[in-house]
Amino acid sequence: MDKNIITELSKIVGNEYVSTKADILLTYSVTASMASDPVIPGAIVRPANSEQVSKIIQLAAKYNVSVTPRSGGSSLQEEAIPEPDGLVVELMRLVDIKLYKELRSVTVGAGVTYGAIEKFLKEHDLFIPVYPESSLMCTVAGQVAVNGAGPGSSHFGCTGELVLGVEVVLPDGTIITTGSEANPYASGPYQRYSFGPDITGLFIGSLGSFGIITKVSMKVFKRNKFYDYNTYGFETHEQSEQFMVDIKQHDINGVFTSLYEGPVLELFMDMIGEELGVPKHNWPFSTVSMTIGSVREDLMKSDAALAKKLCEKHGGHVIGISQLPKQEWNGRFWFFVRACYVHGWHWRTLYHHQTPTNAHQSIEEIRRVMDKYGFLGHTAGFVTGHSSFNAYPHLYFDPQDPEDEQKIRDAHKELAKTLFKTGAVPFKMAEYWSDAIEGMDNYMALLELVKKTIDSQKIMSPRKLGGF
Amino acid sequence: MEELMENLAQCRRCGICRDAVYEDKGFDGICPVWKNTAGFETSFMRGRIQIAIALIEGRLEKTEENAESLFSCTLCGNCTSICAAEFDPAQCLESVRHVLKEIPNEVRDTIAKKILENNNPYVEENKTRRDWVKEVGFDIPCTGEVLYFTGCTAGFKLPETVIATAKVLKAAGVDFAVLEDEPCCGSVMLRTGMVEEAKKNAENALEMIATSSAKTIVVTCAGCLKTLREDYIERFGFDLPEVLHVVEFLKPLIDSGKLKLKKSDEIKKITWHDPCHLGRALGVYEEPRDVLKAIPGVELVEMETNREAAMCCGSGGGLRSYDGDLAKKIAADRMQDAEEIGVDILATACPFCEHNLKDGASSMGSTIRVVDILDFLADSLE
Repeated sequence: MDKNIITELSKIVGNEYVSTKADILLTYSVTASMASDPVIPGAIVRPANSEQVSKIIQLAAKYNVSVTPRSGGSSLQEEAIPEPDGLVVELMRLVDIKLYKELRSVTVGAGVTYGAIEKFLKEHDLFIPVYPESSLMCTVAGQVAVNGAGPGSSHFGCTGELVLGVEVVLPDGTIITTGSEANPYASGPYQRYSFGPDITGLFIGSLGSFGIITKVSMKVFKRNKFYDYNTYGFETHEQSEQFMVDIKQHDINGVFTSLYEGPVLELFMDMIGEELGVPKHNWPFSTVSMTIGSVREDLMKSDAALAKKLCEKHGGHVIGISQLPKQEWNGRFWFFVRACYVHGWHWRTLYHHQTPTNAHQSIEEIRRVMDKYGFLGHTAGFVTGHSSFNAYPHLYFDPQDPEDEQKIRDAHKELAKTLFKTGAVPFKMAEYWSDAIEGMDNYMALLELVKKTIDSQKIMSPRKLGGF
Repeated sequence: MEELMENLAQCRRCGICRDAVYEDKGFDGICPVWKNTAGFETSFMRGRIQIAIALIEGRLEKTEENAESLFSCTLCGNCTSICAAEFDPAQCLESVRHVLKEIPNEVRDTIAKKILENNNPYVEENKTRRDWVKEVGFDIPCTGEVLYFTGCTAGFKLPETVIATAKVLKAAGVDFAVLEDEPCCGSVMLRTGMVEEAKKNAENALEMIATSSAKTIVVTCAGCLKTLREDYIERFGFDLPEVLHVVEFLKPLIDSGKLKLKKSDEIKKITWHDPCHLGRALGVYEEPRDVLKAIPGVELVEMETNREAAMCCGSGGGLRSYDGDLAKKIAADRMQDAEEIGVDILATACPFCEHNLKDGASSMGSTIRVVDILDFLADSLE
């Protein structure tokens, strides 16, 4: 990278926080995204605040250098893989937290992880009730930028639905704040839908294409005090899917409602069942594992009783094993990470949303590509809001076997295409979706127009959002 | 090498080893180096593993500069404590240092050379390490059933701890020996990847220990404990007598009343710093706490991170020698943890921790007294 840029970057953040060292660049060429090609950037900069980010972006624009924002580096779908010789703006030093207790909201810097905010909010008996499965390393802002979901989504929806506003540094260096805080006289973040169109929404899931999110303001809720943990067994896809729909129709407060096919659950339990204290069980064709949470005991008890009735109404039976949902929810910072790594395989994922009644199509599609390409994998999923279901296929491979890895890359590409045709939608336009989508020309043209308007030099994460 | 590469491949680059705050399990940050440096990816285990793989595979040139991150690590093992994958990252890094030994590192080489030449890393005349015996006021033989293996750092840098230990053992009625020309255990050689040199040194140490006719070896250094108890047996296949840290050795003597402690009306608020080699490496967490709690007037208060999740003092893994400023900065950070709970005294049971934490306290102007548990125990003898 041009030495003048490095000199100017050093003036902005100090020498200590800029690097072009070969070893450091190498470590920023990858993220937690597996089966992805590393790309060596030209420099790394670690700003301390939004003003420094603004100056850095102005500099990048002046020299026409590609910029990739990065925080926890835990994303799984190439969201933070940099550009060749580009600039990585690493945001982990932005760690301010400001609570607006009366407004039931909190504003966090782009370097604040879910673990850190959980600890902070717990002291106030509050929480941000949707957790990515990588909560210990994922930042709140990163999760907003990738439009994620996770435990808690079954009741509260995807992370984006908790966002009240963002502070963004635009590709020309302008700093804007969206939502109620666009009004400089506002007492804090209290209303996302203000001053017309949902500008906040433009940045949710934008993967850094329209600017760098430096702060996010999130809704916070009083922590649930009362929980019911239960498992419900079904013999057909239709039964379990209709049960999930009915749970929502009856406003049952399932904070985390997961769906597992029998063999997938057997696989998980073989790996970590004993470690998690889940008793051995002959799991049925389909299992719904649900944590009902509430701030009021009467609501929780009433929801739990109704869930049992609905289960039976749909031809299911109450399994009664509480340890599985208990581990999913109470151990939400750990359970999923452990389940993802205990088996030793590397995997590539393909997160997407389905309708709950279409969940079986995701299962069938992944099974089809597994058979075709000959690899091990699975998918399970969970309810993610009003009427959606998040499926998370894992395609396993041996990291030391390039042929095995290539097989997964090919299968992944095909799976994206076929899933799209089942009606599935991605949370975000990760690079590989651009080959998979079709019949969306007008939509993509509008997206491209927005990109060109906001980032005419195309310096921000240029390969993302379909790589216009 | 194949096994090492398989292990390194277990890292999925999730980044849990950077700054995870996981209250349920007591973690409030993971890597002390990341926290106390500019914080680039190379400063915590995820990045180090990427560097190690690239150096081994030849994708990164094997230069001292490119290998810096491999040595800027205390090997504290906090990353291992939280890692969800099926491997031990800290142990792997130690192995990486060994397989990449060809990469120049003057500090590492000098320490190993001194140990092989002088039986210790500090001075030329090793026998001076026994000079403290003149100050204890009683004779200490060179042979006996209980051998007190003093360790180089306590022996040369913190003789007061050695003297205190001798007094406490005597007070408990223990007949013990100290070697005439005690060798280094070689811990720092193992941690910095000088395995062949460490083995050579260990063979010498084993011979000298054998001259004592000891049936039990007692140590005051957590590094010596891990090396003698674990590495000599598991890595070198040596047959050694039982090795105990003095806190493990003394606990039953306190419980049975053989070691009598004087009453005190003064309440002292004390915290315990878990040395990484004693705690995370060997699981000795409760014995030192029990010993402290048995001392009249002690109010034991825990720092926010303790036991498996305790933050490191900064001196392990050869970091104190490789980058002393960073080691002291980490120590000051740990002392800040103690400041936050308002204690009078921070006790530990490792001369490396004690020495570095004292420097850390001094650099930040902390008035908390940093002591070895044996110093404190000796002051409490009847």
